[in-house]
Amino acid sequence: MTKEKKLSITIDNRTVEVRPHLTILEAARTHNIYIPSLCAMEHLPSYGACRLCVVEVDGLRGFPTSCTTPVEDGMVIRTDTGEIRTLRQEVLKLLLSEHPASCLFCTEQDECKDYQGTIRKAGVITGCRYCPNDTRCELQQVTERIGLTETSYPVYYRNFPVEKNDPFYDRDYNLCILCGRCVRVCNSVRLNGTLSFKQRGKITTVGPAFDRTHLEAGCEFCGACVTVCPTGALSTKTSKWYGKPDKEVATTCVYCPVGCTLKLQVRKSEVLDVLPDYNSALDHGFICVKGRFAVPEYVHSSFRIPVPQRITPLGYNDISWDEAIAEAAERLAGVKPDSFLMMVSPQLTNEDLFVAQQFARQIIGSDQIGSPLLYDLGADTGPFVNLVSQSSAFDVIDDAEAVLAIGFDSTYDYAPIGIGTKKAAQRGAVLVTINSCDTNLDMLSEMAFTCGTEKWSALVGLLTGASAQGAAPLFPTWKKDIAGIQGIFKKSTRKVIIAGPGLLAAPQRTEIIEKLLKVKEKGGWDIIVAHPYSNLKGMLAMGAFHGIKTGAIINENGQAEGVKGDLSKFDLTKGCTVIYAVGVSDLDSLPDCDYLIYQNALPSESQRRPDLLLPAALFTESSGTVINGEGRILPVNKAVEPYRSAKPDWWILNAIGERIKKGVMKYAQVQSVQKEIAKTIKGFPGVKKRLEFSRIDVKMKTPKGAPKMRKQGQFNYRGIPLEAVVKGMKAIEERIELISGSNRGAI
Amino acid sequence: MPKKIDAILTQYGRKQDELIPVLQGVQKEYGYISPDSVSMISRYLRISENQIFGVSSFYAQFRFTEPGRHSIKVCLGTACHVQGGATLLDMLERGLAVECGETTPDKRFDLERVACLGCCALSPVVQMDQDIYSRMTVNKLTELLKIYE
Repeated sequence: MTKEKKLSITIDNRTVEVRPHLTILEAARTHNIYIPSLCAMEHLPSYGACRLCVVEVDGLRGFPTSCTTPVEDGMVIRTDTGEIRTLRQEVLKLLLSEHPASCLFCTEQDECKDYQGTIRKAGVITGCRYCPNDTRCELQQVTERIGLTETSYPVYYRNFPVEKNDPFYDRDYNLCILCGRCVRVCNSVRLNGTLSFKQRGKITTVGPAFDRTHLEAGCEFCGACVTVCPTGALSTKTSKWYGKPDKEVATTCVYCPVGCTLKLQVRKSEVLDVLPDYNSALDHGFICVKGRFAVPEYVHSSFRIPVPQRITPLGYNDISWDEAIAEAAERLAGVKPDSFLMMVSPQLTNEDLFVAQQFARQIIGSDQIGSPLLYDLGADTGPFVNLVSQSSAFDVIDDAEAVLAIGFDSTYDYAPIGIGTKKAAQRGAVLVTINSCDTNLDMLSEMAFTCGTEKWSALVGLLTGASAQGAAPLFPTWKKDIAGIQGIFKKSTRKVIIAGPGLLAAPQRTEIIEKLLKVKEKGGWDIIVAHPYSNLKGMLAMGAFHGIKTGAIINENGQAEGVKGDLSKFDLTKGCTVIYAVGVSDLDSLPDCDYLIYQNALPSESQRRPDLLLPAALFTESSGTVINGEGRILPVNKAVEPYRSAKPDWWILNAIGERIKKGVMKYAQVQSVQKEIAKTIKGFPGVKKRLEFSRIDVKMKTPKGAPKMRKQGQFNYRGIPLEAVVKGMKAIEERIELISGSNRGAI
Repeated sequence: MPKKIDAILTQYGRKQDELIPVLQGVQKEYGYISPDSVSMISRYLRISENQIFGVSSFYAQFRFTEPGRHSIKVCLGTACHVQGGATLLDMLERGLAVECGETTPDKRFDLERVACLGCCALSPVVQMDQDIYSRMTVNKLTELLKIYE
């Protein structure tokens, strides 16, 4: 590509070179020339609403807004003349005639920043979260820069009721300046279309159609609007009064296999809020409700297990770590390998999973490593993990010509995949959806097949051409549509199948998975799997899986040899001496045992009582890595100290293991675990490339006693439903239930 | 019997630019834009329901409630306003127990305000369906409502 010619422009008597296709405002910002603005923002389309960024340009009539005027070669621009200053002050005065402004002109403002003497009064009067304690109010900054100290217009208070009935954030449109940032981010960036300007003139507000609540209108609660709001009109329920964070820690979200970057807002030992990272190459800042709002309440839940506890029929006894480790070691020493069961959650970090499998294999000498996956999927575990290991990078959607989404809805999770799909559809790719209820992709789809899960297999076979045997008569009304889509799919070369979590609720899930793998093998199709087991690829790579050794599945040289596992002898019902559950909370489904160790951050909701409680640190409190659905190794970074005496999972396993058998583990810090992993997986954890996974062929009978379809909450982390600890998630779960009936409830 | 909404929609292309003509078409047929029709338009034009509402609520020509059998339009232009048009509107809102822009539960009247009907010399005026009534008072209006069933 030839280098584009730079343009030479003069801003405030400085001649500078800028890239073409910039607006004057963007050009000025790249050269550190300040032009006030409240509506323009990076990543958002230009709008020209606030009129504060007016400038003078030689040869242009009047005062153009710099955010909507593109630069031209030889332009002479003045950004700070007396006339412009007066004009901006006047514009700001008009803007403030509809915005409570007492805090902006308050004489005690400076002292308030230090002593917060007036802070409560300001909050009560204006209802605003900001004034003046967290200095994030852009209106405040702009007023200061423009130098306005009083206003000559009477303030017209619009008296809209404050909207508090939706989860996660409140809205006070009396504080809104109608800059349109939220509307643009919702429509142009998130492609969601929940927000729009309603009515006109002085009664204009922002919101969804027909007085619906945001929840009813299909809001994703991604919080993008709250992030971009320059005033206090939109505010997070939980963190609005917390003030300013000390530091920001970038980490990876562990709630699903996408692995979005989260910017944790930290003060002392507390995560106050979470913001998206718009510069992240993986997710582009498209985090979902779970990453945006469900982290602080989970990690700082008041139900956290504070200290190790021994549970006897008499009650709970707090014990020290020393006692707890000694007791666990004593119980575990000499346990027969086949009467030990290690249960691990696929939501742990790689380091935790590695140490857990090493503990089982090298300390106890047992290969009995299970996970909740086996209970959820039973005999279908094998085909499912094979499908996951064959999945492609997420960016295959970016240049796909056709997308087939099966059981996939990205309203409340997998947002980057969902937005990628919507973008593809808007660019002209053919989108086809199969689901048992309406999904958020249907609006943009060429055809939305809404039918019961029992028909999915036949439909998938027909559409992809995997097998059409006897399927056609099942869909008499869709004969034409199916033929049309078959034709389109046949013609296109770059095609993507998105297998959503709904697939796992279909009765013939194995049949569907087999069809998907078959068409992938034929070529032309890529597969993306959106499933709830966040670090499943990490679990397979680390070998925390019965019959699969560490690193065995990583396909370094592209020889697709395949890994063979055998779970047919793995009996999940047989009584054990000791069960060690790490991050697994459904204790009722576990087999009988003499001694149950429960290692997690929150107490289990099961009826069954464990014998020993070990408090584990969460992903905000310990470092490590995860492998996302694409096979990329992503860092999880420690942001705060662990809660009370909680410890990272690998630390606890290491301590107990050391006590039983000296010299096997000896890990002092997480880096030493990573070094050990690097012995089998080369370059770990510094590998920048996607890890290639080989095919997995796991022989499997339905594990005995594994319930076929276990009903679970939709969103879990370490076995605990998010709605149990995060208040707003309850409303979201109810909404999902309402839309999908029982279809989405399973798994 | 109104045409099925599908029949109206298929007269237009599936382009976002067609939104206003589509809305006009729907309103012409049904007399108003219902949530159901918004949902159908949304699927057809691939614009979210909320965006459609945003556009249509901007224009005074679209209404979202079913019109009544008779429409009352109270003029609140300058002349009518000076002559007490607002009092007439206030009386109607209280008497019919509806707000401006709404329809009575028995679907007998719908109430609207207009900016000027172009007969300021006769102010204050009220328009009932197609007829203009001049120099209205509260008493005259009360009697007038009885005529329209």
